[in-house]
Amino acid sequence: MPVPDLFAAGLARGWTTYDGSRLEDDLTLEADVAIVGSGAGGATSAEVLSAAGYKVLLIEEGPLRTSSDFDMQEARAYRSLYQEAIGRTSKDGAITILQGRAVGGTTLVNWTSSFRTPPQTLQHWASEHGVSGLSVEALQPWFERIEQRLGIAPWAVPPNANNAVLQRGCESLGQHWAVIPRNVRGCWNLGYCGMGCPTNAKQSMLVTSIPALLDKGGALLYLARAERLLMQGEQVVGLDCLGMDDRCVEPNGQRIRVVARHYILAGGGINTPALLLRSQAPDPHQRVGKRTFLHLTNFSAAQFDERIDAFSGAPQSIYSDHFQWRDGIAGPAGYKLEVPPIHPALAATLLGDFGPENAQRMAELPHTHAMIALQRDGFHPDSAEGTVELRSDGSPVLDYRMTDYAWNGVRRAFLSMAEIQFAAGARAVLPLHADAHYVRTPRAARELIEGLDLALYRTRLGSAHVMGGCAMGDDPRQAVTDSLGRHHQLANLSIHDGSLFPTSIGANPQLSIYALCAKLATELGDRLQKS
Amino acid sequence: MHEPSLNRRGLLKVGLLGGALLAGGGLLSRTLSASADGAASRFFVLRDSDLPMLRRLTPLLLEGSTAPSDMPQVVQTTLVSLDLGLHHLSPALLSQVRQLFDVLSLPLTRGPLSGIWSGWEVASDDQIRAFLQRWQNSSLALLRQGHASLLQMILMAWYASPAAWAHCGYPGPPKV
Ligand SMILES: Cc1cc2nc3c(=O)[nH]c(=O)nc-3n(C[C@H](O)[C@H](O)[C@H](O)COP(=O)(O)OP(=O)(O)OC[C@H]3O[C@@H](n4cnc5c(N)ncnc54)[C@H](O)[C@@H]3O)c2cc1C
Ligand code: SF4
Repeated sequence: MPVPDLFAAGLARGWTTYDGSRLEDDLTLEADVAIVGSGAGGATSAEVLSAAGYKVLLIEEGPLRTSSDFDMQEARAYRSLYQEAIGRTSKDGAITILQGRAVGGTTLVNWTSSFRTPPQTLQHWASEHGVSGLSVEALQPWFERIEQRLGIAPWAVPPNANNAVLQRGCESLGQHWAVIPRNVRGCWNLGYCGMGCPTNAKQSMLVTSIPALLDKGGALLYLARAERLLMQGEQVVGLDCLGMDDRCVEPNGQRIRVVARHYILAGGGINTPALLLRSQAPDPHQRVGKRTFLHLTNFSAAQFDERIDAFSGAPQSIYSDHFQWRDGIAGPAGYKLEVPPIHPALAATLLGDFGPENAQRMAELPHTHAMIALQRDGFHPDSAEGTVELRSDGSPVLDYRMTDYAWNGVRRAFLSMAEIQFAAGARAVLPLHADAHYVRTPRAARELIEGLDLALYRTRLGSAHVMGGCAMGDDPRQAVTDSLGRHHQLANLSIHDGSLFPTSIGANPQLSIYALCAKLATELGDRLQKS
Repeated sequence: MHEPSLNRRGLLKVGLLGGALLAGGGLLSRTLSASADGAASRFFVLRDSDLPMLRRLTPLLLEGSTAPSDMPQVVQTTLVSLDLGLHHLSPALLSQVRQLFDVLSLPLTRGPLSGIWSGWEVASDDQIRAFLQRWQNSSLALLRQGHASLLQMILMAWYASPAAWAHCGYPGPPKV
């Protein structure tokens, strides 16, 4: 039986949407609240504010794609649902940066892991970054509310073989592991969350908050890029958007002028700072785009005698925080261990080398396990960090600078991952680095890893978690917004997305973004009522 | 012969040319670039000038992933897939890719930068492997970046194609 397409059904019921690629004329749209970006922060805020009675307009650069479009083909998903058709990298080209770009934002393609913000992180923000009002106790009800809303619960089905390796390895070494909570309802355990969930089981913004917004009479404008804020004194007085062509590559010449009482930026890391930079919004202390973090990720592959089929089954269900906080909040770089789903196109680029060697590694795909370590960047003064810049055409790029401290974390993570893979029974392990080859013993792995030249391009690096760049905090010299997400210089502008975080989270960020933005949007709704 | 950049003058020349062309926007790249050319027939983005390089490089990168007799078809499939991916890139990234292809294809830069002096059609496999090695280990970050992106683009384009999946034991997506 075909899966019903919830979104198509809503459109048939008369939801208000505008397709920026099909406008005949320039358009002016008015709303109480205009929100840029339909991902975790934007859609959550849209649901809250429309439920509070405001007329909300949600603006999205990417296309509208719904469950019936999700055919689980890598190429189609990557080119239509990811920023820059999955070509986004750090400025030097050395770090692949995965972010979503479609109605639903990155929640459409994320892997459903749902963690509360670690208490250590919240404490660090309060003591080091002037963040107030975000204690564990203050956030608790918001986490509970979102967990209910999005069906978040520890994955009750046995982990797929790829995740089971992490569990088994940690168990045998006496290291921490635990089951990951996922935002799913009726998940088919397919493993294609990264290409858009074909069954609507994933509780992404596409099937939760955006339908709730549209059911309340809110409006969605997609294939429209918010280009520039118009400002007068301390007020935003308008927002200029550009209609995009249907591939979302270039503006198509149509303009949409948006006028609202209040504006919320929720374009996510890199893109929200970019909109402020393009608009030349006041930034007296040069904070916009600074301190952007990535949970910089390195990879370890391993071959097993048995089949792993890492392309199949819920992609992430087991994690380990053994190395996350062990050396203190600001000691040597801490990292979270997880596994990624492995489909052929991405695998081919990750496994490295070319010709017969790459072909040989690919031939073993069904027996190949992969593990990732996500660095908790931004806590230590020597941590790597990124700065958002604009290219000459106004598009953003992240200049992320590695440091010795960060490389040290990468090396230790290679060691940890290899040890766990062998402990789980791997017959060979391959740290993903241009000079590495499969090695068959823990000792050979240690020697190999200790000798690796950890340099850009030789080391495979990636990120799926862009955070920061518009830090919140009560001191305007350090932060772009206050702890309520209000822009320090512009009175009717807020930021509600992952760019608010003053450091990385130290856990996959989506639940942190949902909970924080639900809180900020509720408080904003109350303030708008009074004013 | 395949390491001409090891002599100092060569290196300097390579550095200047490489910098001007790859960093983009230089006078050189505007006068010499082939990027004004339209797409080759049956492609959205790939130009006639890109094809000799891609047609030699692709079979080498994919060697071992298919029967040699199927290679011509594999190369065609890969280029079609690559082309479609490039057709969705942001303008800024696409222009970087075009400059990379130009540097590798235009005679003035191809020889000094890649060591493929006499043209891609007649280059031997060993010369092409030497070029890849040299770029991977170059002192110029732009060439190291170029090496990484060439490999990733082409491998990804092939393994995204269903025709590639038998080799890697991937059953394809399940039925929903
Ligand atoms: C492959 C992958 C797997 C992931 N897995 C997990 C996971 O398992 N668990 C987890 O917690 N996190 C995961 N994440 C990360 C998580 O989904 C994101 O951190 C989160 O969605 C970010 O929320 P956000 O609101 O900051 O921005 P996004 O969700 O990225 O939304 C921003 C939206 O704004 C749009 N936009 C940007 N600029 C403009 C503009 N100028 N005009 C109009 N629209 C604009 C973008 O196109 C985008 O759709 C994953 C990410 C990726 C890429
Ligand atoms: S694993 Fe579950 S949530 Fe992910 S794509 Fe499959 S059905 Fe959807």
